Amino acid sequence: MTTTTQSGSGQPVYTGSGTPTGDEEVVLAFTEVDVRFKTEFGSVHAVKGVDLRVRPGEVVALVGESGSGKSVTSMTAMRLLPRNATIGGQVDVAGREVGRLSESNMRRLRGNDVAMVFQEPMTALNPVLTIGTQMVESMELHGVSRGAAAWKRAIELLGMVGIPEPERQMRKYPHELSGGQRQRVVIAIAISCDPKVIIADEPTTALDVTVQADILDLLRSLKDKLNTGILLITHNMGVVADMADRVAVMFKGEIVERGTVEEVLLHPNHEYTKMLLGSVPRMGHGRGQMDIRVKEEIDADAPLAIELKNLVIEYQRLGKAPFRAVDDVSFDVHQGEIVGLVGESGSGKSTIGRCALGLIPAAAGEFRLLGENITGMKRGDLKPLRKRIGVIFQDPAASLNPRLPIGECIAEPLVVHQVGDRKSREKRVYDLLDAVHLPREVYNRYPHEVSGGQRQRISVARALTLDPELLVADEPTSALDVSVQARVLKIFAELQEQFGFACLFISHDLAVIDLLAHKVVVLQNGKVVEAGPREQIMENPTQEYTQRLIAAAPVPDPLEQGRRRRDRHELLREQGEEVVELNVDADQFHQASREAEVVEVDGTDDQPRR
Amino acid sequence: MLQFILRRIAISALIMFLGSVLMYVLTINSGDPLQDLRESRAENRDQLMAARTENMGLDDPWWQRYLGWFTGVSRCFVLQCDLGTARDGADVNNLLLSSAGASLRLVTIATFLAIFIGVALGVLSAIRQYSGFDYTITFAAFLFYSLPVFWAAVLLKDFGAIRFNNWIADPAVSITVTALVALLFALAVASVLGGSLRRQVVTGLVTFAVVFGLVFAFDQVQWWVQPALGLPLIIVGAVAALGFMLVMTVGLSNRKVTYAGLVTIALGLVSYFVTGPILDDPSGWLVILALTAVTVVVGLAVGWVMGGYERRTAMTVSVGTALGMAFLIFMDKLLRGWAGFLELAGNRPVSTIGENRIIPERFEGDFWEGIFNWGVQLVLPTIVLTLISIASYSRYTRGSMLETINQDYIRTARSKGLSDRVVFTKHALRNALIPITTIVAFDFASLLGGAVITETIFGWRGLGAMFRLGLDTVDPNPVMAYYLVAGGAAVIMNMLADIAYASLDPRIRR
Amino acid sequence: MTDNHRPDDPEHTPAASSVEEVYSVEKQIDLSQKSYSQGQLVRRRFFRHRGAMVSLFVLVFITVMAFTSIGYGLIPSWWDKTFYDAGAAVDGGRPTMQLWPFQIGEHPFGQDTIGKDYFALTMRGTQRSLIVAFTVGLLSTVIGTLIGAIAGFFRGWVEAILMRVTDLFIIIPLLVLAAVVGKMASGIWWLALMLSLLTWTGLARLVRGEVLSLREREFVTAAEAIGTGPWRIIFKHILPNTIGTIIVSATLAIAATILLESALSFLGYGVRAPDTSLGLLISTYQNAFLTRPWLFWWPGLMILGIALSVNFLGDGLRDAFDPRQNRTAD
Repeated sequence: MTTTTQSGSGQPVYTGSGTPTGDEEVVLAFTEVDVRFKTEFGSVHAVKGVDLRVRPGEVVALVGESGSGKSVTSMTAMRLLPRNATIGGQVDVAGREVGRLSESNMRRLRGNDVAMVFQEPMTALNPVLTIGTQMVESMELHGVSRGAAAWKRAIELLGMVGIPEPERQMRKYPHELSGGQRQRVVIAIAISCDPKVIIADEPTTALDVTVQADILDLLRSLKDKLNTGILLITHNMGVVADMADRVAVMFKGEIVERGTVEEVLLHPNHEYTKMLLGSVPRMGHGRGQMDIRVKEEIDADAPLAIELKNLVIEYQRLGKAPFRAVDDVSFDVHQGEIVGLVGESGSGKSTIGRCALGLIPAAAGEFRLLGENITGMKRGDLKPLRKRIGVIFQDPAASLNPRLPIGECIAEPLVVHQVGDRKSREKRVYDLLDAVHLPREVYNRYPHEVSGGQRQRISVARALTLDPELLVADEPTSALDVSVQARVLKIFAELQEQFGFACLFISHDLAVIDLLAHKVVVLQNGKVVEAGPREQIMENPTQEYTQRLIAAAPVPDPLEQGRRRRDRHELLREQGEEVVELNVDADQFHQASREAEVVEVDGTDDQPRR
Repeated sequence: MLQFILRRIAISALIMFLGSVLMYVLTINSGDPLQDLRESRAENRDQLMAARTENMGLDDPWWQRYLGWFTGVSRCFVLQCDLGTARDGADVNNLLLSSAGASLRLVTIATFLAIFIGVALGVLSAIRQYSGFDYTITFAAFLFYSLPVFWAAVLLKDFGAIRFNNWIADPAVSITVTALVALLFALAVASVLGGSLRRQVVTGLVTFAVVFGLVFAFDQVQWWVQPALGLPLIIVGAVAALGFMLVMTVGLSNRKVTYAGLVTIALGLVSYFVTGPILDDPSGWLVILALTAVTVVVGLAVGWVMGGYERRTAMTVSVGTALGMAFLIFMDKLLRGWAGFLELAGNRPVSTIGENRIIPERFEGDFWEGIFNWGVQLVLPTIVLTLISIASYSRYTRGSMLETINQDYIRTARSKGLSDRVVFTKHALRNALIPITTIVAFDFASLLGGAVITETIFGWRGLGAMFRLGLDTVDPNPVMAYYLVAGGAAVIMNMLADIAYASLDPRIRR
Repeated sequence: MTDNHRPDDPEHTPAASSVEEVYSVEKQIDLSQKSYSQGQLVRRRFFRHRGAMVSLFVLVFITVMAFTSIGYGLIPSWWDKTFYDAGAAVDGGRPTMQLWPFQIGEHPFGQDTIGKDYFALTMRGTQRSLIVAFTVGLLSTVIGTLIGAIAGFFRGWVEAILMRVTDLFIIIPLLVLAAVVGKMASGIWWLALMLSLLTWTGLARLVRGEVLSLREREFVTAAEAIGTGPWRIIFKHILPNTIGTIIVSATLAIAATILLESALSFLGYGVRAPDTSLGLLISTYQNAFLTRPWLFWWPGLMILGIALSVNFLGDGLRDAFDPRQNRTAD
């Protein structure tokens, strides 16, 4: 099944093999789906004629960056788009055309035939209802099971997805569970009515990398055992390589390339796919990817920019013992050196960064910044020191004052530290804009007029305004699309080479650290697990946690990723940990939900209602 | 949770104390307490002035006067309150006892009515966003929000009291008015229920017919002077209550729960006849309370026995239905008292002045007529106060609801296939109510303030009158008595709001 | 380098730029388009809000009428009667204004019981109410903003005091406190000052809340990390971002003050005779409702008109500052 169609740009597009033929069973089919949104500023054409099919037991990944329309496409299957959307084309779920169903039949379809797993497990569950209530609800609704029986089945389901002590969790509220556990609950709810297809919209994006690997394992065993089709929406090529059977790449509302996962990821045809794959830093490939070069020779005798000795940072809590976010951490950063601070959420990596900026005090230990001890330093004394430090934050949407023009934002440090006059400040800003490859005309623009990556480049420019000796970069590229991230990283590396500042680079992404850092510090629960030169940590980690962390990061190559996955499972078994999978007897499972379905009256026929 | 409440109580006590100092100092400095004597031409003027100075301790420094008052009040802890005397020698304790009841009744009823109606309207207008109903509610909210209370009260006094009295003397509803009323109902019901245009037209027509028929029938049987519900209406109402409870919980198709509700209604019918003699002239509110308790117990029992594995839902539905039916029976008996009350009041049921139609000492009606005696007087001030609070509650609820239905977990709920009804009532409403609880505290204070105005206009000798008396005569004791009761009520209301908050939001429990 | 940043449309000229440029998800910075600041966008949305525009017109009309008709200070008057001179009763004091055929007549709003021109009286009352309302709106906004910002930014004792004072207003109704201080005040300027000192708490709480959340935003943290002083952070980075809340709240404060002042005057604790105000007029003539209803209607409608238009204005401003529709999907 290889056909060629014309894309909007007039180039031939390779449609790839593996697309189901006409008479094959398909659980989810998009035919010429087209979506427009009416907004304040006119109509937005979000999806432009998308065709896609998902077989039972198959994972089809819909890949794209932000604004590509991939989520919108998937929501058409649920018919849950906001009212200002106009939908064209046809979507069939389990053989029924979604657009022609009456509202009540559509509701019968949702949850029963097609279920969803959302990106944000922290907000996807209702905070005021117990896990049990939310689990039981859809089973009772779709007549799978009722009352006490439903409760029992819910406990079984929680057990299946690997939640410990399921009976106890049933009476808990979502805020009492961790992010990974909540995502498991969401998955348990999704499979509770034994749907034919699950739409997973960025199911692991908000999770830590080890948790992500577990959830992916769970999803994979789910489709293998239950023969459920999965439409996986993601921007992460590593996740695609790990999970997908077939891939469709979306760009600005169109599918530009599709095929089996090997075809698309290993032999991409379309320029966009090539660029996208070229922008992903790969674990284990080390330096030199994407033309990003870092000066390797570091003067070992260079003065220390940061020197931590047994640093302890605590957060005060009302009526409870203080929470120790950073516990006995020691490491140092030489001038001109990039040190990567790696860890999962709650590891205390950002806390150390904030402490370096003098934003939170240390409870004990010593924090020497550019030779001066800042623990217990007064605000006024910090100011001259701050002149020598630059900072970049994670969220490009929040890190620039929306009421200040971009030029003023960049010039702010000069004004605060009273450096130069109006003229010289303006010149400096222009120089910096050149350095981060932005046109000088943005000087008088406002942050909301440029997009995420451009804003992050402005943040970089601002951080470099005063020629700092040290730069603290807290997850500077985590919120960016991969192609944009590549660009920002490249500029960052260029500038580091040019200005030679020391850098504390905080990130959860090991591949990025691998690309840039000279030295790596791995943190877990506020403690240093392992620290040392990059090669040592990345290639020969000695600590179990570091090994797990590295093993969990997916790479955008299906063959390599398959190998990595097996290695990871082996590693987990060696370390006495469990490999996550769905604990279920498939026949029994289907039987249980099918018996119940007999009870359900199969309502009226689909009435065309528009 | 307990710690949380204790902390709130401690803070409230501190605030009460600071507030009392502030109030006291401001009041004694708000004017010249000897003003009237200075302007008088009485021969013994100087003597009178000296006596008043002596009595009120006008020569003492403020803290000494405050301490004097505070000592008296602090004896409340040993149940021997001494709130001092007013300038004319009247005992403030007695003054307070005679005035507090009616005022607190007014404010409490207005608060709960406002919360209930306001939240309901807010939810409805959020669900039917951008519909005619929504726009009407929004505009009405703005209108009531901008309405000067005192002006509205004077207007209402004219239309609601004087003209109503004139009308009830010879009650007749013209066909035009009947049609108008029915039309209003039809429009409201149609736009609330929504749906396609055709469905809306049908609901509108049906509502119009029903309402028109009812009003016309009422008019024919002189219902306005001899009202009653009667058994048929009670049954219809009870079935409607059951339907409502079912729709709010499991939906109409659940057989077990429906049967439980029907059995409850049947038992209610039996009790209608059994309790008839007791209810003809009950000796007091205790009887009503006891019967309510019995109702709840019966409801619970029916749900327990018939619920099966859906016991909890069945119990909720049965109790809800039972209470709804009990309320209807109560209303039936109450309405039957109207004719007697009309007779007692000489066919002019509403008085423009006072918190009772007939002074309680001279009143000779039975239990039901007694309710009317203060009830009719309560209606107009309550409407005034409630209208303004409804406006703010409905706006806040609408905003909060719209905010909530944009949350991710609502999308999750919809993706499970839940209907709008369940999404709104089970998933959205509770979350949307959380921020509303904080508004209750502020709104209650403004209601108390509004009560001062309405009491003035409707000539109540209530708390507001006491406050004004004290302030006009620069006499701190009545003002402080007002402060104690109003402040105390506000603190209790706050506490309730806090508890509601904690029970709605599991994240702050424990 | 600037060569790379031409606003190319990737769909039409794919060959012109590098692959990265064509398939970038980044928005091309369109330098040909005019730049809009947040303020300009807000203004545009506000002027599109029909209800707010009508309200603005009504409010300006009432204000201009109130201050020019009978004059104020240096503003000359064009109405030939005053609010204190009594004249002979015309048509029993009934309003002479009629809509069809349109005529204003001798006493458009009628005359009061002793023959004073009621139009002049109402205009005088409107003046008083507007002066008090706008003064209080301005003063309490300034006080509330400052205290709220300080409490939110520095926390500590200012915050503790603010929260306790707010608690106080939960216990003592504003009207009651206002009545007590209003009784002390002599003259409308004193009254305005006193009311301002009572009504800033609401805004202070709002601003505190906004400051608390803005403090956690990264641009404020960034400013702090750069070494920006606290006052510069408050005035340059935080307050400009709360301007929406402040303006909306100030507008609503004006509406609330109109109602508060007239209620106080009605009870006899606000503006007192021989001066007059809308609340006082209603209080004086509430019993004339059955005999001379116009004495009751005009001042009431005036209060309602002002409060309603100010409230709608506030609503329009809120929509303009906080549009929830500028998000498209994915």
